Amino acid sequence: MPESHRCLFRTLLTIAVLSFGSTAFAAKTVIGSKAFTESVILGEIATQLTEEAGYDAEHRRQLGGTRVLWSALIRGDIQCYPEYTGTLSTEIFSSQNIKSDTELRSALAKQSIWTSKSLGFNNTYVLGMTRGRAAELGITRMSQLADHPTLRFGFSNEFMERADGWPGIRAHYRLPQQDVRGLSHDLAYRGLESRSLDLTDLYSTDAEIVHYDLTTLVDDARFFPVYDAIIVCREDVPDAIRESLNRLGGRIDEMTMTKMNARAALDREPEAQIAASFLRDQLNVNAEAKVQSRSARIWQRTREHLAMVGISLGLAVLVAVPLGIIAFHRRGVGRVVFAIADILQTLPALALLVFLIPWLGIGYAPAIVALFLYSVLPILRNTHTGLADIPRDLRESAEALGLPRIARLRYVELPLAARSMLAGVRTAAVINVGTATLGALIGAGGYGQPILTGIRLDDTKLILEGAVPAAVLALLVQWVFGWVERRWVTAK
Amino acid sequence: MSSAIAFEHVTHRYPHAVAVDDVTLRVEPGETVALIGPSGCGKSTLLKLATGLVRPQQGSVFVTDRALAPDNLIEIRHRIGYVIQSGGLFPHLSAVDNVTLAARFLKRDRQWIATRVAELAELVQLPREALDRFPNNLSGGQRQRVSLMRALMLDPAVLLLDEPLGALDPMVRHGLQEDLRRLFQRLGKSVLLVTHDMAEAAFFSQNIVLMREGKIVQRGSYRDLIDAPAEQFVSDFVKAQRGLHAEAFDA
Repeated sequence: MPESHRCLFRTLLTIAVLSFGSTAFAAKTVIGSKAFTESVILGEIATQLTEEAGYDAEHRRQLGGTRVLWSALIRGDIQCYPEYTGTLSTEIFSSQNIKSDTELRSALAKQSIWTSKSLGFNNTYVLGMTRGRAAELGITRMSQLADHPTLRFGFSNEFMERADGWPGIRAHYRLPQQDVRGLSHDLAYRGLESRSLDLTDLYSTDAEIVHYDLTTLVDDARFFPVYDAIIVCREDVPDAIRESLNRLGGRIDEMTMTKMNARAALDREPEAQIAASFLRDQLNVNAEAKVQSRSARIWQRTREHLAMVGISLGLAVLVAVPLGIIAFHRRGVGRVVFAIADILQTLPALALLVFLIPWLGIGYAPAIVALFLYSVLPILRNTHTGLADIPRDLRESAEALGLPRIARLRYVELPLAARSMLAGVRTAAVINVGTATLGALIGAGGYGQPILTGIRLDDTKLILEGAVPAAVLALLVQWVFGWVERRWVTAK
Repeated sequence: MSSAIAFEHVTHRYPHAVAVDDVTLRVEPGETVALIGPSGCGKSTLLKLATGLVRPQQGSVFVTDRALAPDNLIEIRHRIGYVIQSGGLFPHLSAVDNVTLAARFLKRDRQWIATRVAELAELVQLPREALDRFPNNLSGGQRQRVSLMRALMLDPAVLLLDEPLGALDPMVRHGLQEDLRRLFQRLGKSVLLVTHDMAEAAFFSQNIVLMREGKIVQRGSYRDLIDAPAEQFVSDFVKAQRGLHAEAFDA
């Protein structure tokens, strides 16, 4: 590789490592939250309380579903997160057939997990329809759904899989519906409103129930368990933090929570601010709402995004270029390498990220590994193609000059393949900029964060705050590589 | 025995054809030998055998009396200059960088390199400014001159030229033929030159080797081939080559 290219990669890598290092290695109490508004508000409240207790705390918001949060907690990537008792007993401890809170607490203690006092509200699942549609069909109770087999159901993705979700309901109420789709919880309201869905799962404290004028169906055969809101923490969390979190016990009733949800989801008030005003009013805690300015926010997202893209791309170059060279010279090895790389490329990004969590936890590591795996194939393939496309007479001329293999590679073959290799790196980089937006789902931040929040809050401006910089970055990457190619690689 | 290049009972088969079949051939120091024959007769393969680009399945190849072997190949290649029809210049390097690549790799003294380049440019009559150009910005004739400079850079004992003028238009070709012959005489190197044109072979050498289907049919001067053909094929080949010219004149 010519000096100029190495220099470029080194620069990219340095930028990436610097921005990575500055955010990843501080010892903090990390509070997680799930990818819906209520969880983010509760996570924010817990974070501010922890800080008030004198600890350095960080809120990793909207990390994903129960499984992601739970395994992050067990691994110690996060120390606490808001949860619901019914979710734990049916989703995490489903095999143990837990009947009471006492049983749940002892099951959690066995895993070295502490639970706070109950916060004061039961956020159960309910099924909801628009008032008009429910009246049209005369449905008020869940058991009546069995009489309407053609209804279109749209459930949040987690609900589709959970034992206390659709599979359980279908068995419990013997429901016949076939048109059942999984989608993001926040999009379901819009589906109901536009009449492309008849029914969805809701949380009883959702502010949208009032806003969209929805009817909730009575659980007349008593399917849903109780979902008392709690905070779960690892037992290694300092007592002072636990005591502080226990101050929330019984202080948030259903009405309070619904109102806070409405302020976030409908009035677009930042969760940090809602949490701070709750703590001030209810607990007399002078908490500080850390609301970043838009430019500070975008800058932070940019650093996170660049870190993910830069590190993964740098590693991919370091691995894929030598692999491509070996694959070219040894056909047998090449076949195996390409077969593996092809398979990796076909894995869905979201699935890959979730597979990696048990090994690598949440945050940068799984995001970078996933992006790295996606970058390998284009670089590998283009390195191989670049070498294979060198005309035979040029290869032979280099050989006949008496240059040893390494020298031929360095002075003739790699420079001649550089254009193709660079195109591979460019492809990988552009793919990475796009795919890295998924990093937000597992706590790696980046431009996906505002997109995710924007979808959750139905806030187009917020979605654009992530989508526009991501698109600009992709164009920038295209442009930089185009410039490098014109400047250094183009055959004269 | 002292020869610049020697093939001793060399056989090389490609997967579905024999390219070179039990060939024994010597080129003495300072001698120019022209290899000629119809396409596919094995003449280019013979040159590749001499550079070690292909390895014989049987027999041995000697360059300056040393048998080619994997462990001395690199060293022996520094004693060989190899020029092919397309020139084989590396498009990402300027003409001068093409010429000096091997010398720079061998860490030859800078001053020596500069002097040598100037010497060779004069020898092959390449204008100074052409040296800084990239191959795509050179004319066909200039490209072959640069390619020749590259082949001569390390002052090799042996020159292997595979249809070096084959891709040039007739005017340029004629000029280069003259220059090349003068150059061969002046340098006194051993030259093995492949061509498909009998007139060109006769122009360069009294030593013409005619090949057919991997075997040497006859070795001799142009006169010998006409006056004492070893077999019917020799007469047919010579006649076919002359026929082209004759027909052109008649027309």
